[in-house]
Amino acid sequence: MSDRTETGETTKASHELPKAEIRKTRRAWWLWLIPLGAIALCVWFVYRDYIATGPLITIYFGDASGLEQNNTQIRYLGATVGQVKSLELTRDGHSVEVKARLAGSATQLAREGSVFWIVRPEVKLGAISGLRTIVSGEYIAVRPGNGARTNIFAGAAREPVAQEPGALNIILLASELSSLQEQSAIYYRGIQVGEIVKYQLGSEAQDVRLQARIHKEYAPLVRENSKFWNAGGIDFSFGLFHGAEISAESAKTLLSGGIAFATPPEPAKPATDGAVFRLYEKPDDAWKNWMPVIHLKLPDQAPENTESNQLDLK
Amino acid sequence: MDTVVACETCGLVQEVGAVPKGSVALCARCRFHLVHRKPNSRLRTFVFSLAALILYFPSNIYPLVTAEYHGLHSETTILRGIHTLFQERQYFIAGLIFCTSILSPFLKIVGLLLISITLDWKGWERTRTWTYRIIRIIDPWNMLEVFLLSISVAMIEMGRVATVHPGPGVFSFTAVVALTLLATLSFDPRLIWDSPAQKKHYE
Repeated sequence: MSDRTETGETTKASHELPKAEIRKTRRAWWLWLIPLGAIALCVWFVYRDYIATGPLITIYFGDASGLEQNNTQIRYLGATVGQVKSLELTRDGHSVEVKARLAGSATQLAREGSVFWIVRPEVKLGAISGLRTIVSGEYIAVRPGNGARTNIFAGAAREPVAQEPGALNIILLASELSSLQEQSAIYYRGIQVGEIVKYQLGSEAQDVRLQARIHKEYAPLVRENSKFWNAGGIDFSFGLFHGAEISAESAKTLLSGGIAFATPPEPAKPATDGAVFRLYEKPDDAWKNWMPVIHLKLPDQAPENTESNQLDLK
Repeated sequence: MDTVVACETCGLVQEVGAVPKGSVALCARCRFHLVHRKPNSRLRTFVFSLAALILYFPSNIYPLVTAEYHGLHSETTILRGIHTLFQERQYFIAGLIFCTSILSPFLKIVGLLLISITLDWKGWERTRTWTYRIIRIIDPWNMLEVFLLSISVAMIEMGRVATVHPGPGVFSFTAVVALTLLATLSFDPRLIWDSPAQKKHYE
């Protein structure tokens, strides 16, 4: 080894350098772990897919414009819960059969009573909705029902009116719709306490029936002797002694219309579901000064000291 | 049996006497391990290509990339990427990606499996030789696939600013590339023509 030279080695090279090393048996079985790992990885992929995959549901839409195969999502509470897989015209040619795959975590959305509708950009007076969909495209929204499991649904044309548990549903009769719309607000002392759900012409075409909803926490405000009036638009009056007077409930009611109401100082029994009220075009001056004491259970309300800090607003 | 061995590291040709079991010969010049045949070559080749074959399927089924763009969700598998390129009339690139990413890994895996299984079979020497030659031809093209993949991803996904995540397919795909590489590395082509007696001797 010491007399090593470049030429000397190539011509006369015969070295044997044994060195003890035990390794063969250990390596052999270790190698089999590689395909086993590959199988484990495949099993994990399949398992993950199985967990993540929910039922394939079918929704029939009268108009499916904007939906895209393998792209449009189904969303609930802001989370993506499914994806449209195919779009096909039904045999009668009147609707579109949309097949969508729900995520595994959203299986409970496939129930009877669930409502699916397509969210599109919408610009209305007083409200712009679905603005995001201008960029991202339409998506399908869902409101879950609580019936039995099913995979076939009839899609709604538009967002269904939410059934609010505990809310008070009343009917207002107006001589004219004027500027009122669906979702026009109902105000009590300028605070929105409800909205109009639906309107239609009365069955004898003599009045307009407005279905209104008062939120649960404000329901006690509506009494059998409450007075409702149209707060939309501008109230312009000119008097000899008090000059010109312009009043509008708020800038919003100016555009989208609104309803205000007041309850007399001696409130009658609370209104029940389906109670009918007349909608006046203008409020009486006296109504605005009514200030009954009605106890409400509002969320996040600080407990009041009854006598000490009560102010006389009059 | 021959006792003259060329060192794989420095190329020095030298004579090696009997090596007792459980010991290893070292090169006279570079002191690196000196072997007649790569150790455990057959088992390693078989194991690596088997793992590659198992992972070949998820690498083609699962999306390589998932892109999210303002709620638009797109998943791209290799096949769908090729399909898109084909629709965009990029026939050459589509064909190239198909050959380097789908066809050649498959041929290589199947070829290596075939060789490692038939290594003991008599009369299969010519088949093994041909298979090995084909593997040698397609091998350099495999290097293209990772490179081409990045181009195809860029071509499909560029033009929109999007969040792009690697999908589950990309892990198995990388594993397939690495495993086929290891399988060819650990395969000793001299085994193809070794007789059973020689194999026993070199073990």
